[in-house]
Amino acid sequence: MPNERMDVEALREDPLEAELPRRNMVINLGPSHPAMHGTVRTHIELDGETIVKADPEIGFLHRGFEKSCENVTWTQCLPYTDRLNYVSAILNNVGFTLAVEKLCGIDVPERAKYIRVIGGEIHRICDHLTMVGAMALELGGFTAFLYAIEARELLWDRVAEQTGARLTTTYTRIGGIERDLPDGFLGRLADTLTRVAELREEIDRLLTRNRIFLDRTRGTGVISAEDAVDYGFTGPCLRACGVPYDVRKAHPYLVYDRFDFAIPVGERGDNFDRYAMRMEEMRQSEKILRQAMEQIPSGPVILDDWRYVMPPKPEVYGSIEGLIAHFKIVMEGVQVPKGEVYAYTEAANGELGWYVVSDGGGRPYKLHVRSPGLPILSGLPHMIVGSMLADLIPTFDSINMIGGEVEQ
Amino acid sequence: MARLFRMLLLGVLIVLGLCAWAWLGYLAVNWLGGVTLGWGWGATLGQAVAAIVFIQLLFVMIVATLLTLAERKWSAAMQDRIGPNRARLPGLGRFSLGGIPHVLADALKMISKEDFLPSQSNRVLYHLAPVLNFAPIFCLFAIVPMGPPVPIRHGFAVLVATLQIANPDVGLLYVFAIASLAVYGVSLAGWASGNKLALLGGVRASSQMIAYEVALGLGLVGMMMTAGTLRLDQMVQTQSQGLFGLSWLPAWGIFVQPLGFLLFFAAAFAETKRTPFDLPEGESEIIGYFVEYSGMKFGMFMIAEFVEIVTLAAIVTAVFLGGWHLSPAIDGGLASFAAVLVRWRFGFAEPTGVLLTLAVMQTAIFAVKVLVLCWLQLAIRWTFPRFRYDQIQYLGWRILLPLGLANVFATGVCLLLDPSLSLLGAVGLAEIGVGIAALLWSGAKSTQPAPAPAHVGSH
Repeated sequence: MPNERMDVEALREDPLEAELPRRNMVINLGPSHPAMHGTVRTHIELDGETIVKADPEIGFLHRGFEKSCENVTWTQCLPYTDRLNYVSAILNNVGFTLAVEKLCGIDVPERAKYIRVIGGEIHRICDHLTMVGAMALELGGFTAFLYAIEARELLWDRVAEQTGARLTTTYTRIGGIERDLPDGFLGRLADTLTRVAELREEIDRLLTRNRIFLDRTRGTGVISAEDAVDYGFTGPCLRACGVPYDVRKAHPYLVYDRFDFAIPVGERGDNFDRYAMRMEEMRQSEKILRQAMEQIPSGPVILDDWRYVMPPKPEVYGSIEGLIAHFKIVMEGVQVPKGEVYAYTEAANGELGWYVVSDGGGRPYKLHVRSPGLPILSGLPHMIVGSMLADLIPTFDSINMIGGEVEQ
Repeated sequence: MARLFRMLLLGVLIVLGLCAWAWLGYLAVNWLGGVTLGWGWGATLGQAVAAIVFIQLLFVMIVATLLTLAERKWSAAMQDRIGPNRARLPGLGRFSLGGIPHVLADALKMISKEDFLPSQSNRVLYHLAPVLNFAPIFCLFAIVPMGPPVPIRHGFAVLVATLQIANPDVGLLYVFAIASLAVYGVSLAGWASGNKLALLGGVRASSQMIAYEVALGLGLVGMMMTAGTLRLDQMVQTQSQGLFGLSWLPAWGIFVQPLGFLLFFAAAFAETKRTPFDLPEGESEIIGYFVEYSGMKFGMFMIAEFVEIVTLAAIVTAVFLGGWHLSPAIDGGLASFAAVLVRWRFGFAEPTGVLLTLAVMQTAIFAVKVLVLCWLQLAIRWTFPRFRYDQIQYLGWRILLPLGLANVFATGVCLLLDPSLSLLGAVGLAEIGVGIAALLWSGAKSTQPAPAPAHVGSH
């Protein structure tokens, strides 16, 4: 590449006055680099410490999620969805099952809706804690990171009680959820939320008014609202620019219209705003959780419709209808009506969209995930070109790219 | 309660250990000084050798080594963790000894690791860099006086035994000269590794260290003017007097030169290259100038960092915290206590014995101050995030440098108006008052709603 800074003419005229010829330095951040979450490579051209060009390159974590789903039954897709955004798996589970249920035209029991909200909001807090902690860690604030991880660990204890797994939950099923909440769960969750709130406020005190943290995050990685919309930003990164779009408010699903919560909106669209969005959303999620814990009705957690849901075991062993239904669902999968549908939910990092096509059989004909991270990652060069190398780190953290969902 | 008792016991044990160390140190300095005096070498060499053994090897290296553990334990305490407690010494069964065996385990690990040589590296400089980094930092401690001079008679000669390796007239200038040499090790490590990230780290390190040399020097100039000397032992002597003639308020550098203290501490902290000034390392950005180093070569960079912590603490103690002095009143009390001890042991207050006992206690005081400052540095390191490259330059050139110049000017004016330290002390205390008021004010301000841009609104 010809270097525009190498002014040969000037060199010829007056060698003493001419600027010394120089080349930009090209460095690779990643795929194995402490700040590159997952395995993404960023190809960076540096002039001194100023970023001239940045080129994020994904694909190291590509697993062929969409294609794999075409080879398994609808229910068997669920474990794959856990591995999209592995920090908030229940949100993926919920998004996928909502899409399939929309295609089937079924509505799940009330209690299942509430439990989905509870699981989802717990995981939203986990996701935001991870982002805030990682950002603190990579700016050198190790202590705040461990507070966040402690809080996330406490929440994961609850997730493990609820779903049986800490990370890969596979919690929802078409027509409801896999199992009811364990005894005394809501009381323990309330205690955990209180402790998590303490830790969250401690992180807040350590970071939000910390002069060094403010200097590092204010005015870095800025993107305007127009550009953010053009790139397809959603979620906290879009709201940080001042666009108050949240699927939970704009197109309420499950029971989100019954809760009183606010959507935090930023002004500048810089790293600090994106961080502040996460902090405030954690508070709002806690508010939603506490309301959901009060409102949750009793009742079944899954439909009693054997076309979509496995019959209970006594029926399987005791009746011919149950046995056949069990056999059909296991061997052929849920028979989802022919058609195509786009369903979307608010995942932790933005709008998680599912474009699902069914040919009427037991397996997806085509499945496409609109992961919130991909458009945001593609906006990364726009946000950091012209800033310093050190600014890449908080920017990369604040967009919270999750390798699993971006690269699928 | 039991925990408090354990802590107190540990503290008493540490102080007693330090006293024993200081006592042995004085004896060794006296003995080697006497022996070499007899050989006609001049006592200086013998004393220096004894001081090197007792200060550099027994104090600095052991404290620095234990600091690697203390850092892990203290950060663990700050972060609600337990910290390292798994390594065991053979035969000691279930006792983790507070994690001390981890120091040995770490050393063993570093020694037994592969000595890696990157193919693109400059072979000679690559091997030389850790030494160039470690040696100057290790040398820095040479001029720090750990204890007061004690005149001891050797036949007809009187030998002044002191726990100080060298006492050149240039004093603090030696610190500046040697401290700036350390930058070669770091930048050469970055360059010789043949790694772009390491090169970035080396460049960052050299620019940062050069920028902070200036503030480092200016921070000390005020104290040099106050004490009228460059020699550290004389600076400590200046701080033994009471401020405004009060026996309970010592004329410590931190009281007469609070701004100088802050400048020097900040600049020296930047020189140690630790968070929030750890840009040369920047573990999440460029991994650092030592990214290509493994094993004990990396260990030398690491231990140099900890030796620098101890050295910085010791210089701050000597220049700003009164060295081995507490306030004049307490110093007098200690002297009487030493006399009582000697009379109890020998029946009469033998003058040299009293002086030596007092010196031992004062050396322990000095060492305790050093340890407290080391702890302070650990606490700072685990609290703050990292600066950015341009912000650190801004802080160095645009904030610390003008402040340092203003401090030198103000000190000069004060000393011109009032050669005794009263005016300077009044100004210094006023500065401290203003600083605390500003802190309280900003603290009170921050209890109000955050200046965060997030306004909560539904739609």
